[in-house]
Amino acid sequence: MSSYFDYFCQNIENETREKSTQNVDRILGTCYSMCPEDEVKLREAERLVHLLEVWGSERRLVKSYSRSAADSNMAVPHLLRPYSVLANTVQYLLLDVTRRVDVPESIMYDFVNDRLRAVRQDITIQRLIPTQCVCLLEPMIRFYVYYGYVLSAHPLKDYDPVLNKKYLLECLKWYLTCCDSIAKEKGNIDELSGFFSGLELNIRESKSKLVNDQALVESLYILCNLDDLHPLYRYLKMTKDLKRQEKLELSYEIAIANLQGNYVKVCRLSEKLCPLLYCALCTYLPTLQRRALNVTCHAYNNKRLTVPSTALVRWLCFTTERDANTVCSHYGLKVNGDAVQFDRSEFKTDAHLHIPVIRNIRKKFDVSLIDIFTYETSK
Amino acid sequence: MSATGSLNQYIQLIERMYRTSQGNFLSRLLSLRDEHVGNRNLRSSDIATLVEGNCVAPLDEIVISHLLCVKSLYLRDYMEAFEHQSACVACVVKLLQNQKEVNWGLPVMYTVCLDLRLVAQKAEATYLQSNGKILEKAAESLLACFRVCAADNRSSDADTKRLGMLTLVNQLLKVYFRINKLHLCKPLIRAIDSSPFKDQFPLAQQITYRYFVGRKAMFDSDYRSADDYLSFAFHNCHKQSIKNKRLILTYLVPVKMLLGFMPSIQLLQKYDLMQFWDLVSAVKKGDLRGIDQVMEEHESFFISAGIYLIVEKLKITAYRNLFRKVYLAENSHQIEIASFQAALQLMGHDDVDADETQCIVANLIYDGKIKGYISYQHKKVVVSKQNAFPPLSSLY
Repeated sequence: MSSYFDYFCQNIENETREKSTQNVDRILGTCYSMCPEDEVKLREAERLVHLLEVWGSERRLVKSYSRSAADSNMAVPHLLRPYSVLANTVQYLLLDVTRRVDVPESIMYDFVNDRLRAVRQDITIQRLIPTQCVCLLEPMIRFYVYYGYVLSAHPLKDYDPVLNKKYLLECLKWYLTCCDSIAKEKGNIDELSGFFSGLELNIRESKSKLVNDQALVESLYILCNLDDLHPLYRYLKMTKDLKRQEKLELSYEIAIANLQGNYVKVCRLSEKLCPLLYCALCTYLPTLQRRALNVTCHAYNNKRLTVPSTALVRWLCFTTERDANTVCSHYGLKVNGDAVQFDRSEFKTDAHLHIPVIRNIRKKFDVSLIDIFTYETSK
Repeated sequence: MSATGSLNQYIQLIERMYRTSQGNFLSRLLSLRDEHVGNRNLRSSDIATLVEGNCVAPLDEIVISHLLCVKSLYLRDYMEAFEHQSACVACVVKLLQNQKEVNWGLPVMYTVCLDLRLVAQKAEATYLQSNGKILEKAAESLLACFRVCAADNRSSDADTKRLGMLTLVNQLLKVYFRINKLHLCKPLIRAIDSSPFKDQFPLAQQITYRYFVGRKAMFDSDYRSADDYLSFAFHNCHKQSIKNKRLILTYLVPVKMLLGFMPSIQLLQKYDLMQFWDLVSAVKKGDLRGIDQVMEEHESFFISAGIYLIVEKLKITAYRNLFRKVYLAENSHQIEIASFQAALQLMGHDDVDADETQCIVANLIYDGKIKGYISYQHKKVVVSKQNAFPPLSSLY
């Protein structure tokens, strides 16, 4: 006990000392390429170059993630990339690597995810300032949301939705905390939106570049956590300016409809969402459908009467009647031709979640992959 | 204690209380809310050297940091005061640790811990940019005390320091609610709920505890237990503590409403909570537009109390009440979906269609708030001949 207490006291002392010297001991990276020299040499020698790091005859290695271990010192400047390099790396990973079609999407996801983790690790070790953090984290959030949906029907060995959600939440919460501290520093949250709109990553002069869209991320925080009330508490405490942003208002409305079990309204409003918010909602859709079918089983419970599949398509965003019928029979309900018979004793509450066929987001909204990672909701 | 007397007299008094194990008196001598704080003789320029060597071992450090804290408070340097009070708590922790098999020191711990939280709040209010960091540090100190108490499982039941756990937990709950870190409450609640002394703690502490645990249950949408905890707090709270009773009711009223119990106007008037009255009448009438108006009018009150989302959920109760009226007016066991839809539109849901109306009815049937079923083909709701709309209070 006492030893712990000494440790605790020392911590407090150290912290106060830190405050007085103000960031003098902040490490600044000096590695000006996407991958440190040492790692390039090691990986080339050990034949650990990823397929996605090979571009024809050229090799573009990106620093890979490695767990911090007790005996390894990671706080070495020449192994750390400064902000500008990190920004370039994120941009390269999201806008160039994701376009490769010669490897399966799940492999590409694993690769980019690993390299993004390394970026986050560099951010943490160098303790970058919040304004820089948000610019790096926002694109990552888009990545996890988009691929979280696109890969959701993949088998567990190729893609793990739980891990994806973990990384997504990590980035989301980090991002939002940064926003809060920026707002605190500014002392005036109302200025935030104006401040952010001027903050773009001006690294390349090409037309596609990464952006930072706080309203989008706040909306994603709500729609990616529809079963959780905390994002809603957060929304309620926002400033009027932010609250009134169209996307954010819509997301809140959807979350409230979901809270009240109003699946018809949720599905109807979802048609108004922008591509990424739509992805977030579609990832949740199977859960919504299962719950809604359980509700309808009780409400339309009858041995003779049926409900036509067309109605289910309308209520629950099924793509086709066949799609609706498959899901219903998956949960144990009888399907007679184009109608479903609801019998609450038949509903299998323990059946695993049925993931329907993934719809083509890019086709639906007619956007390119680059657009997904760069569009702005305000425009 | 006296507001006059020299520093030496003060030290002698403290030593005597310590030797005779008088925890309550000692706690007053170390409190920031006691008369002796006003004594100028205790605010000399060089407290540390004057006390040192003049006072027995474990007490000297406590007295020094206490008096330094007093001095800083007079200089309005709350950050400095907080540091000194933290040191004071740390010394008390050491003192308690070395007092085996006895717990007369607990009142001292209560006092310095409460003072620490108060000073931290004051510092927090003065240095806005700290953003909860000071209170977080205070919580760390309180946790150190908590560990000493929780770990004391060798002493007999009467002398164990574990009896002090609840007071500390309450202090911590207050801090965590203030800095909005509710997830940190869970291990504390578990520690108290599994404690063999659960029902032996002082009633006042139990009330505070259940008030916070009830609020937490409410945030976690566990309304049954929220009702239990808050009701206990309300019924046992001293009847003259109007302010506290009002605080409890702020949460108990919406929770009760969700569970189907509407408050009387007398109660709301007595405790100055008339914000709820318009809501009660709107929900009773099924007046959706009215609910929206109330929510807009009292938005900041509902949001700051953290009950805005509960009010959103009360709309479901309003649907039920509205549909019951339609059912009574139609006087039939088969009601057209169109009648429900018309009622919804009349009450403010202008854009609702047949699909959404069915969805709302379906949810009410699923929750057991309406007994019956929907026939899609006939566009009708067929309700049970008996007790088609069971009272909400019978459902939970």
